[in-house]
Amino acid sequence: MTEKIRIIIVEDEALVAEDLKEMLRGFGYEVSGIAKTGEKAIALAGEHHPDLVLMDINLSGAMDGITAGGEIHSRWSIPIIYVTAFATQAIIDRAKKTTPSGYILKPFNERQIQTALEIALYNHELEEQAKENERTIRILANAIPDAVMLLDHNRQIIALNDAMARRLGYNHTQVHGDSTVRFNRDGMFTPLESRISEILCSGRPVRFEEKNQNEWFEVSLILISGSDEQSSRIFVQYHDITDHKRFEEALKTEGITQIEKNMEQFQTLNDQIRNPLQAIMGYVNLDCHQYRERIMGQIMQIDGLVSRLDRGWVESRKVKRFLLRHYLDNPDDVPDSISQENGGRCS
Amino acid sequence: MQLMDTVLVVDDEPAIREIFTVYLEMNGYKSHAVTGGRECLLWLKTQKPDLILLDLMMEPMDGWETLLAIRQYPPSSQIPVIIITGKTPTAEDLVQYGGLIEDFIVKPVDFKMICESFHRIIENDRDLGREIDRVKNEGQDPEFLTEYIRLLRLTSVTNNLKKRLKDRQCSDQIPLKKLEERLQWLHEKLGFPDQVRSSSPLH
Repeated sequence: MTEKIRIIIVEDEALVAEDLKEMLRGFGYEVSGIAKTGEKAIALAGEHHPDLVLMDINLSGAMDGITAGGEIHSRWSIPIIYVTAFATQAIIDRAKKTTPSGYILKPFNERQIQTALEIALYNHELEEQAKENERTIRILANAIPDAVMLLDHNRQIIALNDAMARRLGYNHTQVHGDSTVRFNRDGMFTPLESRISEILCSGRPVRFEEKNQNEWFEVSLILISGSDEQSSRIFVQYHDITDHKRFEEALKTEGITQIEKNMEQFQTLNDQIRNPLQAIMGYVNLDCHQYRERIMGQIMQIDGLVSRLDRGWVESRKVKRFLLRHYLDNPDDVPDSISQENGGRCS
Repeated sequence: MQLMDTVLVVDDEPAIREIFTVYLEMNGYKSHAVTGGRECLLWLKTQKPDLILLDLMMEPMDGWETLLAIRQYPPSSQIPVIIITGKTPTAEDLVQYGGLIEDFIVKPVDFKMICESFHRIIENDRDLGREIDRVKNEGQDPEFLTEYIRLLRLTSVTNNLKKRLKDRQCSDQIPLKKLEERLQWLHEKLGFPDQVRSSSPLH
């Protein structure tokens, strides 16, 4: 470690303070200050941001060490070790609430101080690392636009990202043990409940689509098994596919519109071909006796071809009905123009 | 000899108008041809033909629109109409309009042959008209009468298409048997003579 560990001593007895200072230097630490009162201790800690504070509980002045220690720890999360001759249960109870990193009873020896300091500093580093890890995970979880959460086997939320918190209506991402997913919230999450049962039963990933008002989601559930049932987790992901769905719908509408256009063209074309045939037939019957039969044969051939086009048209009507029935099976899904056209006219 | 029957031809194709007119006159009809739906309605304001031959695919007013207008205009509401067109009908066409027309004929067709059948259609229509008046005078339910006329036309048109078209997509979707049972029931209830149902053109 390049930089020395900096410690503040809070002690109203000058001799004890000096003794501690010598001791700490001997361990290789730097003493950034000595305070005699609680108020001074807070001011020093704010100025120097030390790595640790050794805090006497019984101080001269209005503020005692526990109050000062609690303040310093909560403001800057600096670890506190209490050093005191008093150890009544009441004092210990008060001290505990400030989550101290150690508690040393006077009279102390050098070894006790050194051990307490080393353990406190090491624990503090672990805590900082854990906090940093949590921060990293949170950054990662919030970096994806999908709403994600982790449930335990009792459907309690263990973790979730901000997007999911918003969906669930939580204003804080910090979730406590009593938060079961409110499955019927605004109609959302309703299908989730049965799917969770499904995945707990089969263990196979589950994927389904869910529509909530004007939004579409692809919901994925993955079971992360632990050493036993209790420790298994369910990962839940809500992926927004609204744009994709809208595009798909537009394509379907366009496809059907195109088929309708083709159908119309067939009708017009067939009518246009049959009119001259009718005219030719009429003229031939009027005054062409020699080749009448042959010309009629040719006319009937053309008419046969047109009839085949007619059948093609019937086929495309079939295709359209098929599309309406199978692709747009959800009535909500049918674009307005088509649902109106289809409404009740087909017998 | 009675007066010549008048046939109105509504078609936007000049050649069709010419041919139809020639054949109609050869077969003893008085004929008049107009180029579209609007002209047809205009002509009907002053004239009353005995039969109307109506094309479907016309601009700007198509045949179905024209048909509805003919039926809604009281002086022409009872005139028999035959659709003659290059468009094959759909089941929806039949359901919607089959009860308003005497026949649906797909071009090209031997016009000489169908011309002969028009006399019978006109004659049948006159018989039917007399029977309708009789039934009305008897004070029968007018709704039954309306339904009877609609079913009479629809079943006749469907049966004709069934016989003539190779592709029966449209007519096969009509529940003909059920309609005919209902028609028979109405026929007996209203006391129509059997000959009004027996004949249809192009057998």
